[in-house]
Amino acid sequence: MEQARRRRSSAAGARATRAAGHLGLLAGALAGTAVAIQGLAAGGTQGPAHVELPRLFPFAGMSLVLDGLGAFFLLVVSVIALAAAIYGPAYLKAHPASSPSVIVLGINLFVASMSLVLLAGDAITFLLAWEGMTLASYSLVLAEDKEANIHAGLVYIVIAHVGTALIMVSFLALGLRAGSLDFAAMRASAAALSGTERSMLFFMALLGLGAKAGVVPLHVWLPLAHPAAPSHVSALMSGVMLKVAIYGIVRFGLDLLAPAAGPLPPSWGWTLLGLGSVSAVIGVLYALQQHDLKRLLAYHSVENVGIILMGLGMAMLLAHRGEAAEALAAIALAASLLHTFNHGAFKGLLFLCAGSVQSAAHTLNMEELGGLARRMPWTAFLFLVGAVAISGLPPLNGFVSEWMTFQALILGGGELRSGSGLAVIAAAAALALTGGLASACFVKAFGVTFLGRPRSSHAAEAMEAAPSMRAAMALLAAACVLIGLLPGYAMSVLELPVALLLKGTSLGSIVTVRGPLVLSASGSVGSGTAVSMTLAAALFAALALAVCGLLALQHPDRRRLAPTWTCGMAPQSRFDYTPTAFAKSLRLIFATLYQSKRSVTRLTGATPYDLRSLHWKSEMVDLSQKHFYDRLQTGVTRVAHAVRRRSTGRIHYYIAYVLVTLLITLLIFGRG
Amino acid sequence: MDHALAPWLLALGQALLLAALGPLVTGLIQKIKARFQCRRGAGLLQGYRDLWKLARKGSVQADTASPFFRLVPALALGASLAAVTLVPVLLVPLEHGAASRLPLGDALLFLGWLSLGRFLTAVSALDAGGAFGGMGASREMTVSTLVEPALILVIFSIAIVAGSTELGAIAGHRVALGGSFGASDFLALFAMLILLLAETGRIPVDNPDTHLELTMLHEGMLLEHSGPALGCLVLANHTKQIALMAFVQALFLPRMASGATPRAMAQGLAVFVLGTLVLSVFLAVVESAYAKLRFFHLPQFLSISLLCAFLAVALRLL
Repeated sequence: MEQARRRRSSAAGARATRAAGHLGLLAGALAGTAVAIQGLAAGGTQGPAHVELPRLFPFAGMSLVLDGLGAFFLLVVSVIALAAAIYGPAYLKAHPASSPSVIVLGINLFVASMSLVLLAGDAITFLLAWEGMTLASYSLVLAEDKEANIHAGLVYIVIAHVGTALIMVSFLALGLRAGSLDFAAMRASAAALSGTERSMLFFMALLGLGAKAGVVPLHVWLPLAHPAAPSHVSALMSGVMLKVAIYGIVRFGLDLLAPAAGPLPPSWGWTLLGLGSVSAVIGVLYALQQHDLKRLLAYHSVENVGIILMGLGMAMLLAHRGEAAEALAAIALAASLLHTFNHGAFKGLLFLCAGSVQSAAHTLNMEELGGLARRMPWTAFLFLVGAVAISGLPPLNGFVSEWMTFQALILGGGELRSGSGLAVIAAAAALALTGGLASACFVKAFGVTFLGRPRSSHAAEAMEAAPSMRAAMALLAAACVLIGLLPGYAMSVLELPVALLLKGTSLGSIVTVRGPLVLSASGSVGSGTAVSMTLAAALFAALALAVCGLLALQHPDRRRLAPTWTCGMAPQSRFDYTPTAFAKSLRLIFATLYQSKRSVTRLTGATPYDLRSLHWKSEMVDLSQKHFYDRLQTGVTRVAHAVRRRSTGRIHYYIAYVLVTLLITLLIFGRG
Repeated sequence: MDHALAPWLLALGQALLLAALGPLVTGLIQKIKARFQCRRGAGLLQGYRDLWKLARKGSVQADTASPFFRLVPALALGASLAAVTLVPVLLVPLEHGAASRLPLGDALLFLGWLSLGRFLTAVSALDAGGAFGGMGASREMTVSTLVEPALILVIFSIAIVAGSTELGAIAGHRVALGGSFGASDFLALFAMLILLLAETGRIPVDNPDTHLELTMLHEGMLLEHSGPALGCLVLANHTKQIALMAFVQALFLPRMASGATPRAMAQGLAVFVLGTLVLSVFLAVVESAYAKLRFFHLPQFLSISLLCAFLAVALRLL
């Protein structure tokens, strides 16, 4: 009796804690949005806001700084976190987890530490918050106690920590020269760095940050870890956490390590452009072959990080090389930052939709879904909005940022001329290929999941998501539509970060020179290009509505429903095209990159023509998994074995090792 | 005419004019093909007759289809019409990017609208739940994936010298250059002609006359549509074809006249009619002279255009 009452009261307590957690996240997200908007509005006149933190360590102070760049990324984090906060409670109710309180606590810590990374004014705060972000997301990946989650968590935490180590070394090396770990001091001391040192530090940081951003070939953890977490956490991990890594790359490359005057080392821009192109194409190619909806979306994050890096690389190549190039650098940087926000919005939206599908149909395997559009019309419609946006199709936001990236590449290619220009145009072709593949992938993802006939009883009995979940999805869908229709206003948000990073270049005089409704891009040749997404979308809407009106004239009696003709057989769900079948032609065309293995097992009776059963299995290996990680792992294991063989447990051996090490160390470092 | 409304009316008028001419172009190509086959063939106006027939028919929709299914034809036709407003047929501004021109879009938005139409059509093909629709959608998206990079390279090879991706500005640039045509232009034109075959869905890439499951790409996606909705999709396809022809001409054909005077517009239209005739003959001859390629040989065929387009860019930049 007593025990039962205690259990009941503790359950009530846990519920109250969870409710407090949900409200905390909501309040935090709202506060973050307000701070970011205030920072973007006031930062131009008052300079960055600065807060000293209590001194935790004897050797360095800690502080928070809100400048234009941090404020913009904070806005990205807060908007997606807001949607996740609205979505979370109903999702956790519909999709019971073993430890919901841990998820609620974890997501709060996760969002808080991501915001702290963006606000950090010194390396210590940055690294502590960065580590907090990793650990909080790690706990969320493990929220469901399954074998797959444990494996995903292990891969994630190992790669994340190797990355953190590299970032730390880069920070410490810079801090040593500056004599302080404060960003302002580092910035000042970086002016005295030699070219080689500067590039060494940048590439070290890029390796660490790139691992977190999911750049190919460092992406293998991403498609494992992102789908493993609860869906609103996946939305945050894919939509936002990768952006925090992008923030780090921008902070290092264009702010902390940027030379005081003159252009950045060209190797930085080329590396980012190359990595971006490869990530974009490889990411979308692997996405095409996934059957799991969330894993497909996770691979698309690799693609979109690639697109962001292409813009960023172009900005780095063109920055500080004269007036015309500077204007193009501003377009490239704005494209990259806008795509950062856009990807957060549509990828967040798609992950939330996937979460709704999961809680309604209890599976994410597209082979078992189908026909959900009639059961869940809202989710289906919102997913379609996200799909059109992520495929870079007009009139939504994905098109706008890809258009700007294309403009930066084409005009930048014309600016650089010769071989460099050609390399840039090749990157543009890669971006076009990416766009085409992404459309194909989302025709598949949307069509196979939501259309046709249900392929399992779960899918046939799916129910529409709860109203609060729909509201969260609608919020992000609205962001996708609004940025698509009115991109000029998004440019005013980017004004401050671009001016900060490109030493005072004003976006308003380049991209929105013809008013907020028209986007312009122009280089040193010709008059440039101007597009008004608002007018174009209005024209499209008017034309489509007119056609709709004409179609509505048809008398309702003349429309009827009938089963699809299936050549005389009874129609059933096995006639529908499956995701594997849909992607088959591209799998064959890009076979070299997939190296897919398939095995067919036939069980026949007395003669080969008497087929009892047929089992078909296909498997795709991630090339970077095979050629990079697996080799790395083998190497590490071999070294570990070698060490173990020599660790005999006899003291005199160890004394000998210590002496030899000491001798070698003294020989190398003992002279000075 | 109200001055502020004039560009809007011009854009809409051009869209409607080209949409109205679309079926005629298809009829012309069919007629030439019939002549090659020693047949008399259907009349030039057969396209219109088919549309009229479809418009009056009732429609049957698959009972498994979702609410999107009925919207898709209107949206696809809207996208095709929006694309056709962007090609400079009536109006070629000489001072490129002149502010009087409505900033409705550039070559990238043109491709964007066409991709949107294709995306939506492919989605609707999966809706009815028949294998043919899925097969058509899968193949169409595969081909479009291979076409897209080459198409972007062709546009860029010209946009680099024009300094703009606006089709009006590019055509204006050709006007300013006069008739001069370099090696790069020839390579880009060759690439573009291959892409035109793929994008308009003609032999050797696709066979528009067939409903045989082994050969169809685009037709497979339309199988489950019927009546006026099918009419919309067929008209969208005619419109897309004529828009692509106008697109090729905007990129490559030097115009003699420019500006917004009625005389210049009439001249522009005359040049357009001539160019369209030439391209129609090209499509009909290729379609009569070649067999359809096996689907998995298409990447090789299309990579020729990618190579040519890349060389065109290289010649411009090096």
